[in-house]
Amino acid sequence: MISFELSEQQNQIKEMTHWFAENEIRPMALEADRLGKVPDDWLHQVNQMGIQLNTSSFGGGGKSSGKRKKEREGNRMGVLATEEMAWGDPAVTLSLPGAGLGGPPIESSGTAEQKERFLSIFTTDKPRWGAYALTEPEAGSDASGVRTTARKVDGGYILNGQKIFITNGGRASWLVVFATVDPKLGRAGQRAFVVEKGTPGFSCTKLVKKMGLRANETAELLLEDCYVRTENLLGGEELYETSGSKPSGFQVAMKTFDSTRPIVASMAIGIARAAYEYTLDIVKKEYPKQGNYFHLASEILAEAEQDIQAARLLTWEAAWMADHGIANAKEAAMCKAYAGQIALDVCAKSLELLGPTGLEGHLVEKLYRDVKVFDIFEGTNEVQHLVIARRQYAPYDIRV
Amino acid sequence: MISFQATDDELAFVAVAKEFAKDRIRVQARESEQVEKVNEDLIEEANELGFLALELPEDWDGLELPLITQTQIMKALSYGDLGIVQGFTGAGDAASLFRLLFEHPGLQQVKDDNLTQGDSTTILVDLSDTEKPLGSTVSVQKDGNSYLVNGKTEPIRLAQYADTCVLFAKDQDGSPVILLLNDDWTVEDGDYRLGLLAAGIGKLTFEDVRVPESSVLATGTKAALIMKKVQTRNYIIHAAKQNGLMEAALDYATEYTAGRKAFGQEIAKFQGVSFKIAKMAIETRIVNHLTWEAALKADEDSAMAHGLALRAIHRAHKGVRFVTDAAVQLLGGHGFIQEFPVEKWMRDAQAQVALYGRERDYLTQRGAEILSGQVEVPVE
Repeated sequence: MISFELSEQQNQIKEMTHWFAENEIRPMALEADRLGKVPDDWLHQVNQMGIQLNTSSFGGGGKSSGKRKKEREGNRMGVLATEEMAWGDPAVTLSLPGAGLGGPPIESSGTAEQKERFLSIFTTDKPRWGAYALTEPEAGSDASGVRTTARKVDGGYILNGQKIFITNGGRASWLVVFATVDPKLGRAGQRAFVVEKGTPGFSCTKLVKKMGLRANETAELLLEDCYVRTENLLGGEELYETSGSKPSGFQVAMKTFDSTRPIVASMAIGIARAAYEYTLDIVKKEYPKQGNYFHLASEILAEAEQDIQAARLLTWEAAWMADHGIANAKEAAMCKAYAGQIALDVCAKSLELLGPTGLEGHLVEKLYRDVKVFDIFEGTNEVQHLVIARRQYAPYDIRV
Repeated sequence: MISFQATDDELAFVAVAKEFAKDRIRVQARESEQVEKVNEDLIEEANELGFLALELPEDWDGLELPLITQTQIMKALSYGDLGIVQGFTGAGDAASLFRLLFEHPGLQQVKDDNLTQGDSTTILVDLSDTEKPLGSTVSVQKDGNSYLVNGKTEPIRLAQYADTCVLFAKDQDGSPVILLLNDDWTVEDGDYRLGLLAAGIGKLTFEDVRVPESSVLATGTKAALIMKKVQTRNYIIHAAKQNGLMEAALDYATEYTAGRKAFGQEIAKFQGVSFKIAKMAIETRIVNHLTWEAALKADEDSAMAHGLALRAIHRAHKGVRFVTDAAVQLLGGHGFIQEFPVEKWMRDAQAQVALYGRERDYLTQRGAEILSGQVEVPVE
């Protein structure tokens, strides 16, 4: 039955994360932006509370637990919770300890042993991070163009290459790194490895300064004759042997996007909602109750509210499909493309309503800087359009 | 629990509607437009399948379906041709009023006609917004226990076929009133060329029409409340119809651009084309979801339903204009000529938008609701 009501569990997680966002994250948002980092003691404290950023599962059931089979709702809970956290502040949210964007590829493609080894480290004793390293100077949107090489040697692989724009890349305990065993093989040559911090030959060369999301670490990484054991090849060698010529490494990257894009979309929605609600509150108090400015505000706010809800419903659909194991690449791309685009627009409209006053000391200015990248990372708006178009033309055997 | 899964019954109903839309409606679209009338056999078929009684109360032999189900069916039907769907005679936009006031003594004759003849047509003339400029000169004067109606309406869908007319208006004191009129008007034939040409569009002229007390369906606060509920339901139903047209245009343009070649390859392979298709797909899906959301709230009789319906119809107006125009654009010169359906769909879309409310007005109404704090901004 079609329904947009939240289940009890979904409501609980929404309320819980909203409380945390409102009381713990939002109050430090502007200060963290000024500092260019989230204070370590705060991260330690929230980690002890068991609060982490996990983009692959929020414990929404679905595992076979004896007789009772419960509907899986982890993806829906994930987008609900992430929207609330990003509403608090996206940079702080992205800095929360946890597997982050590195979680989904391990969840979807790792062996049981790898899942245990890499995902069990996120304990409350100290904050730890995972990361996802796909982008390179010459391969961003074109994930198949990865140049980092993986040369097979006895017992493992030697990795060489450079990775850029890696969220939490400098502090991560491990990173899922994409490399190619033979560039001539194209996608079929791609492999995903888990590179652990401290591995000889692996280093963080730079933390970049950005337009927004300044409190969140974005790293450049170098792999120089970096030896990685075969045990850290994601899925193990068997995965690639059994899949023959199929582009498994590439598929790991793509499959990851199908679950992370709705999460990224929900972050964009959270930012847009934060800007909208902040502005609505000021307009209600400060704007005239009739006349030109009232009508201007009415139109702008109604349009913003509509766009936010439209993006939210697209995102819920993609997450719902993922929970039901329905192929959702098109819907994941739709929500990411749309949410990324409207979120910037909503922030710009909010700034328009605040006028010059919005330039100083107002959250919306920061949100505007933060949100732009949501139309870029995890696949640019243009890449999302390409993904949607490919699915749209698939019945006609046209590859666009 | 958040779910996008239709029920088995809904899926079955939609499958029948979609088949009917493709096999029966689509093929008659051009001819209906040329003769400016929907084929009576087709109307009869639609009636037999129950498509003209989705909103009518069970007490009137209607299906009285929830709006969430109706939106899916109306979308499927309009996929065939919006011009024909809007030309289907019957209760039309007054169906929601009949659903809400099904036991009203003043409506029993309409009910009997509906049950015995099955081909009577009612139109809804909504003059409740007295600030609306242009067009209507209709005045409603309270005179004792009756009302006197004079003047000419704006163009109304199904006016050419109407047997009865429900009038939403305000009297000389600004008090809301809902009246039932029985064939007490003349219809002015117009020179309509834009679109929905099979929808029987015309203007009604009332000359000293006296509406007796027995035909006064509601007054004052009660009338205002009923008007709002009927408007809410109609916004949702029309948004769903427009969404059906959007999907038709999207599918047609996708297939066309997948087959059409230029510069040595299918034009789908040019990003200017494929990205436009992607945008059309996103917009079509958005209108679907916003319409569903409003329908769900209306089915709950939630106070939020009106605001969400405003939101849905605004987006449906914007969306249907964008998608049908994009379809014409993607077909290039072929989009402009009548051998292909998209030029008609673009005209129909614009006529539909003109008939069913000003886009910006819906937005400012919704904005005023948000700013006045009358409704909670839904974040759940």
